Amino acid sequence: MTFLETIAHIVDLVPVLLRVTTPILLAALGVHISQKAGVLNLGVEGMMLAAALAGVLASAASGSAWVGLAGALATGAVLGFLLSFAIHVLKADLILSGIALNMLAAAGTTLVLYMLTGDKGMSGSLSSGVLPSLAIPLIADIPVLGRLLSGHHVLTYLAFAMVPVVAVLMMRTPFGIRLRAVGESAEAAATAGIDVARMQIAALVLSGLLAGAAGAFLSMGYVSWFSQNMSGGRGFVALAADLMGYGSAWGTMAASLLLGAADAFVISLQGKGIPSELLQSLPYIVPIVALVIHARARRKRFVRI
Amino acid sequence: MAAEPIIRFEAISKRYPNGTEALKGVSFSIEAGTIHAICGENGAGKSTLMKILFGLERATGGTIRIDGQPVDISSPRAAASFGISMVHQHFSLLPSLTVAENILLGQEPRRGLLVDRKAARERVAALAARYNLEADPDARVAGLSVAAQQKVEILKALSRDVRVLILDEPTAVLTPPETDELFRRLHGLRRAGITILFISHKLGEVRALADRVTTLRAGLLSGDAAMGDISDAEIATLVMGTTKTVPPLREPHGFGAERLRVDNVVLRSLAGADRLDGVSLSIRAGEILGIAGVDGSGQRGLVSVLTGEVLPHDGDFHLDGRSARGCSTAALRKGGMAHLPADRFHQGSARTLSVVDNAIAGAHRSSRFSRGAFLRVREMETEARRLISDFSIRCPGPRAPLSALSGGNAQKVIAAREFATAPTFLIADQPTRGIDIAAAAFLQGRILDMARQGTAVLLISADLDELLALSDRVAVLYAGRITAVLDNGPHLTPERLGPFMLGLEDAA
Repeated sequence: MTFLETIAHIVDLVPVLLRVTTPILLAALGVHISQKAGVLNLGVEGMMLAAALAGVLASAASGSAWVGLAGALATGAVLGFLLSFAIHVLKADLILSGIALNMLAAAGTTLVLYMLTGDKGMSGSLSSGVLPSLAIPLIADIPVLGRLLSGHHVLTYLAFAMVPVVAVLMMRTPFGIRLRAVGESAEAAATAGIDVARMQIAALVLSGLLAGAAGAFLSMGYVSWFSQNMSGGRGFVALAADLMGYGSAWGTMAASLLLGAADAFVISLQGKGIPSELLQSLPYIVPIVALVIHARARRKRFVRI
Repeated sequence: MAAEPIIRFEAISKRYPNGTEALKGVSFSIEAGTIHAICGENGAGKSTLMKILFGLERATGGTIRIDGQPVDISSPRAAASFGISMVHQHFSLLPSLTVAENILLGQEPRRGLLVDRKAARERVAALAARYNLEADPDARVAGLSVAAQQKVEILKALSRDVRVLILDEPTAVLTPPETDELFRRLHGLRRAGITILFISHKLGEVRALADRVTTLRAGLLSGDAAMGDISDAEIATLVMGTTKTVPPLREPHGFGAERLRVDNVVLRSLAGADRLDGVSLSIRAGEILGIAGVDGSGQRGLVSVLTGEVLPHDGDFHLDGRSARGCSTAALRKGGMAHLPADRFHQGSARTLSVVDNAIAGAHRSSRFSRGAFLRVREMETEARRLISDFSIRCPGPRAPLSALSGGNAQKVIAAREFATAPTFLIADQPTRGIDIAAAAFLQGRILDMARQGTAVLLISADLDELLALSDRVAVLYAGRITAVLDNGPHLTPERLGPFMLGLEDAA
């Protein structure tokens, strides 16, 4: 391989990396917001899955991919609200409610799919729209740069654009400061006159919106159908990405890219004689190793005061 | 005064769901523009009363009137709308936020959608200048010393439209000069028309500051008088009941062999307040060495090293002649070390566990309290009952959660556990901070008993009266260094220690 060929090969990998990172990053940013508010959104996997189905259904019913996206976002937001309702009004346990939401979504999406299409596996009979990729004028024509910057999916652009938006929201706005105050000490925040429940509801609704966008990307990003359990653990990978992100939106992006890279690496190695079981476990081994390293680094800091 | 009192409590009572009656119909008035002290032992109900006034708890009976009108204070937000603000004993600051973010939390200046950081900085600077409380608006609270955090806490309270400022034990963490400064500022606030409610255990402070004093005992009003009409002795009687406590005094007695030796211990850490810069100490059997020093001079670092929580970067320490550097906390405890931590709720106890569990913690693996994989619950309870009666701990019973006990009684549980191990070396870190006079006197007496029986005691206290009453020698810690080691005696006074504590003199 010549030097230029190597470069071209790497450049070819970038779109794959960004594509697999997109749902992880969107969901991880949602988890990030919820975690900062002290209500870690463990139901993110279920929110993605339900939103993925809702997107296909809304799109099939309306004939528009954008209505599908709106349906997915709304589903995520509603589930975020329901989760906060369970915690604050019904006083249910945060962790159990999140797990219950995931199980409900896994079973519920299959049930709805079967009722509407008679098929438990895929929504092939419903014709859903596909959200577009965007070519950026002028930049698209520049040789290497065009390949790197242009032609990605609209939700990929959204995901990366959300990183600075979330960072500014959390660090520079009154809303973000109050959210972090609630997450750090609900009692102290309440003493300062902040409505703790309202902030946590808002955090979970925002978290749900981002999970909804991640779900829409799964079912309407490059394909036009929903399949059973198509979130495939990406919500849990997003939870790992948030925990590895050192509590910042930018860190969460870096962790999402790392975990996405593991995914992309697997895709690039497929069909090259490596046992597929081993390959498919890689995206889950990487977060485990990363979390162990992360935990050790933290412990070291703690011991030395 | 002819005008309506700004606040009038009418038959306020508070009964908790577990049956504890914290307040039993308390009535009194607070006149506008005065400094009103509220005295009482821990558990007398003064904190509960203030929480009710501040909207953190609801009274189960009675009425609060503000300017003569009955009001319903259902939340701190409602209290703020009446102009009532509170400086908490346990700070309500958020460590990861900056000083400015903490002070202006909930009332951030905006520019568009964002926080106007320049305006925030200016508002904090103006506030700090007005009340002579220096604070760096951009510093993270996590990196500040306790005294600096209190300044932020007071600024936070003052940042709102305040008519009534509640201060809960504000001097517990301050040095004498800082306390004087605080009092000057509080007098200034009174001149500006602000009414101040001041909760304190220290009669000297009440005398120096207050116009009027209300005393509570066991949930009942025991006295209410203008400061001019009442003597310190009378207040003490109203607070304590008829029993009179005499401050314990050390008696001269002989010392044994050297028990603890600290050689040139160095601790470099990120937090400046924990640094140690070559500390050497020696304590003999039966000796109490007091550590004086402004809060954040390295006390926490010294305790962390001696308890085996951190490894010093340099230097060594010996327990009974054996090097203890690198020993785990468990090994040190086995070697005779006991520790009464300053943060009794985070380090010293598990609040949700029972009195029994807390009293046995650490000894639960011994053959006395366990057989195989099982705990000998009856043995544990017997021992807990013995400690409860031995230390006269007031609690609903050995199975009650520690959180049901007042601060003084919780501290007694921890002390009972630590003292029961018959340690050869005891670290008593702020043993009486924030607890009532009777419990404090009791614990001081026990510490003296321990020393008489041959325990080497390292006593760290922000209360100089306590240090001088108990210590055989006093070492002064300043910026991680020992600036003086002085024999205790009539010649040793707070005035003598002051210059060493502030780093003006260095005898080492």
